[in-house]
Amino acid sequence: MAFQTVEIKPAVPSSPLLGFWRIFSKNRMAVVGLVMLVVSIVVAVFAPLITPYDPQTSAGLTSGDIYNPPSAEHWLGTDDAGKDVFSSFIYGSRVSLIVGFFAAFISIVIGGVIGIVAGYYGGRLENLLMRFTDLLLVIPDLPLIVVIVALTKPSLFNIIFVIGILGWTTTARIVRSQTLAVKSRKFVLRARAIGAGNRHIIIHHVLPLVLPLLVVNAILVISLAILNESTLSFLGLGDPTAISWGQMLNFAFGRGAMSAGAWWALATPGFGIVWVVLALTLLGHGLEQVLNPRLESHHLMPGRLTVQSEAEVESTEKARRRESPVLLDVRNLSVQFVNNGTVAQAVQDVSFQLHEGEMMGLVGESGCGKTTLIMALNRLLPASGQISNGHVYFHGKDIASASEEELADVRWSGISIVFQGAMNALNPVRTVGDQIREAIVKHIPTMTPDQVDKRIVELLELVGITADHKDHFPHQYSGGMRQRAMIAMALSCNPQVVIADEPTTALDVMIQAQILELLDALRKRLGLAIIFVTHDLGVVAEMCDSVLVMYGGVTAEHADVDTIYNAPRHPYTQELLKAFPDLSQPEKRLVSIPGYPPKLDALPAGCRFAPRCPLAFERCLVEMPKQYELPGHHIASCHLVES
Amino acid sequence: MKQVGEKKTMTDEFILEVQDLKKYFKAGRPGWFSRGENFIHAVDDVSLKLKRGEVVALVGESGCGKSTLSLTLMGLEEATEGTILFEGNDITHLNDRERKSLRQRIQMIFQDPYESLNPTQTIEEIVSEPLVVHGLAPSLDERRERVRRALEDAGLKPAESYMQRFPHQLSGGQRQRVVIAGALVLEPHLLLADEPVSMLDVSIRAEIINLLADLRQSRGISVIFITHDLGTVGYFADRVAVMYLGRIVEIGKMIEVLESPQHPYSQALLSVIPVPNPRLRKKRVILQGETPNPIDLPTGCRFHPRCPVAIERCKSIDPQLIELSETHRAACILLAK
Repeated sequence: MAFQTVEIKPAVPSSPLLGFWRIFSKNRMAVVGLVMLVVSIVVAVFAPLITPYDPQTSAGLTSGDIYNPPSAEHWLGTDDAGKDVFSSFIYGSRVSLIVGFFAAFISIVIGGVIGIVAGYYGGRLENLLMRFTDLLLVIPDLPLIVVIVALTKPSLFNIIFVIGILGWTTTARIVRSQTLAVKSRKFVLRARAIGAGNRHIIIHHVLPLVLPLLVVNAILVISLAILNESTLSFLGLGDPTAISWGQMLNFAFGRGAMSAGAWWALATPGFGIVWVVLALTLLGHGLEQVLNPRLESHHLMPGRLTVQSEAEVESTEKARRRESPVLLDVRNLSVQFVNNGTVAQAVQDVSFQLHEGEMMGLVGESGCGKTTLIMALNRLLPASGQISNGHVYFHGKDIASASEEELADVRWSGISIVFQGAMNALNPVRTVGDQIREAIVKHIPTMTPDQVDKRIVELLELVGITADHKDHFPHQYSGGMRQRAMIAMALSCNPQVVIADEPTTALDVMIQAQILELLDALRKRLGLAIIFVTHDLGVVAEMCDSVLVMYGGVTAEHADVDTIYNAPRHPYTQELLKAFPDLSQPEKRLVSIPGYPPKLDALPAGCRFAPRCPLAFERCLVEMPKQYELPGHHIASCHLVES
Repeated sequence: MKQVGEKKTMTDEFILEVQDLKKYFKAGRPGWFSRGENFIHAVDDVSLKLKRGEVVALVGESGCGKSTLSLTLMGLEEATEGTILFEGNDITHLNDRERKSLRQRIQMIFQDPYESLNPTQTIEEIVSEPLVVHGLAPSLDERRERVRRALEDAGLKPAESYMQRFPHQLSGGQRQRVVIAGALVLEPHLLLADEPVSMLDVSIRAEIINLLADLRQSRGISVIFITHDLGTVGYFADRVAVMYLGRIVEIGKMIEVLESPQHPYSQALLSVIPVPNPRLRKKRVILQGETPNPIDLPTGCRFHPRCPVAIERCKSIDPQLIELSETHRAACILLAK
């Protein structure tokens, strides 16, 4: 994943059911739908207690009682036979709900079984089942239902059966595709490796992951079944012994309610149908959002503006004496995420300078804030994140407070990013050449198409891809080539700073070596400054000039590469080195750092590394260490350095 | 212990003997009108013996066949040719029932701890699943006790505090420990570890490798450790087998291969492993291109198109493993005397 910046999570619920309810209860649509549905179910169950009259008997048989308007006696008036409309309406909900639930149950069982069997077993069986499903899908449901019901005895049971048995096709298709997706996941392979049979895998591994989808689908199938029943009854094919809303409409239409102006006889059952279907639809869509939170957009929302929370903190880091000029000057940068009222400090008070032609290693464990830091450099933070303090000077301009227009100039043509996981960062349906073209055209609109074409070939050759691969799609590239293409894309607008976010993490060692060699060559040839983000200390030692070690959102240590590896002062750096395999000492036993990095929404009070630090003493637990400056532009945040 | 398959030889010393193993996948016809079929030569003539309690590392780039080899050993893929003896029994072709009972003794750890745990199961359910599947420990108390022991053996202590949690509540390292506990609960004799640490942070890799090393010490489990990174195996492998395009090109004791690799491919692979010391930056042998596709294999030595020291004869002679010492062998004609 390219963006891993959402590091804060809400407090973890103790069970998935409780957690589900917590999210569910926040979804207004789902809650409204549920309440509406519960109301109609309660009404249906307690119908005899609610209704003032027996719906089967007429209130009176005098002609004066036919189509009486709403009154205190008959709240919703009377119908063509002088029966109380309100009572019929209440009883009608029973039929609708019974048909809806039972028919949907039949559909869901049939569709679920066919979908799972087809998806799981595949092969000929799948072909047979899915072609049968397709066949049923082309035949229009309703006419078929009408024909079958008309040919059989119109009873409630028949209606349920026919609607149920014809309504499973979409369910089967959805379940099949979900099953296919689940089947290919690694835990299914693991279950097979354990020795589990198909039945066990389906029940324990496939079903639980298909179930949420099935529930959402079931709710929509219920509303469809209710609509189908109403249609049938309206057409006069309903069970004559059970009053349903469709039948009420049928009678009202057939017996002159329109000409009598008896709107209540028509509006009441109509309202019932709309109410229940709306309830189910709201609930269904709400559930879908709850169960698949990714439907909400994340990174496409506009970024927040920088908030300078306090007066400018004086830079702890004095300007460094180096021959090459400073390209990027980051001062006291802090980034926070605000989620549901909780604030997580993802990056705090990080300062560094990047010189022309310098390669800086940015090292830290997952969740240490390194990805957040580099996203902040370009102000590409997700919507919940914002720069809360500090400056990012690029050519003297502060990116932290720049406008969107100014940012557009800096992004890609000033600072570009080589994303992690080239497979996901490339668009699979467009050729690689096309995707490079997009970046060039966007940033250098003055180029003619011919020039752009020439530039694309030039860029590809620069990263070691021959021109004939220009019009190929990403899937025709190997893993190493895709990463090269990503680098070509990052170079397309002549940036001075390239941020490489774990560019070799998923690659084989030999391909990794090729990519590293390429980056090193490009740096020398184009005078690029590169920020190399990684958790691999070996790569940093081979490539970088300086290293910034991050821990829990803060700078643990920052120095030139030789100092970091041969005279580290921060215990975290020292421990990290002990945990790294070193082929020059193959007999060395690796020492892992006990414990886990802190969660950014629950940071320790003192030094962030103190809970895992072998050298921690009392002061470390209560007081956060300053960034101490040591000779040779060496910074370490540790109380031990002070003494 | 139930006997599986036909009993061939009684070799107590070796837990696993692989002889001339081949696994080909169909890759469709070369053209619409051509006859015959293309094959992906994923594993092509691999022989390997594993002693009881031994750790062998299978090293190679993607596409070298190391993962297919492990899936074939596991019986998750059917071997095309050759034989696999496990504890003296032929396990190359088994029916479902025999395969299932064998699973109790050969277990596998997968690469991605984020993907290989079912997100809807609790840790206890995940770890006890193998016991349920095999009908072992029928009483709940007994089962819970074995799950607890497996979790603690895998370093998740106290086990009670993990049992009711879900995978998403654990870190990557903890999840990989759960995967290991799920394999240990059956008390297997052989563990196939397919890149068990490549998805983890470097700081956590050490603890997982140390855990495997400890398990091998305390339980005498044999381990086949599959990886693309020679750097991570140095610590606990007894022997290293380097694979290239479906073949083992060099095999020997860990020290022999790491300190004096003889095959040009092993030499290149070793040279590109980063050393965490900027003072030891060294000359790297970076092979150009990528592993060719295993459908149209190069003639002669499979490595010759990328080999930095290839000579004319390499294009025509397919080299066999040459014995360099009692324990060290490599397949390169330049090594023949």
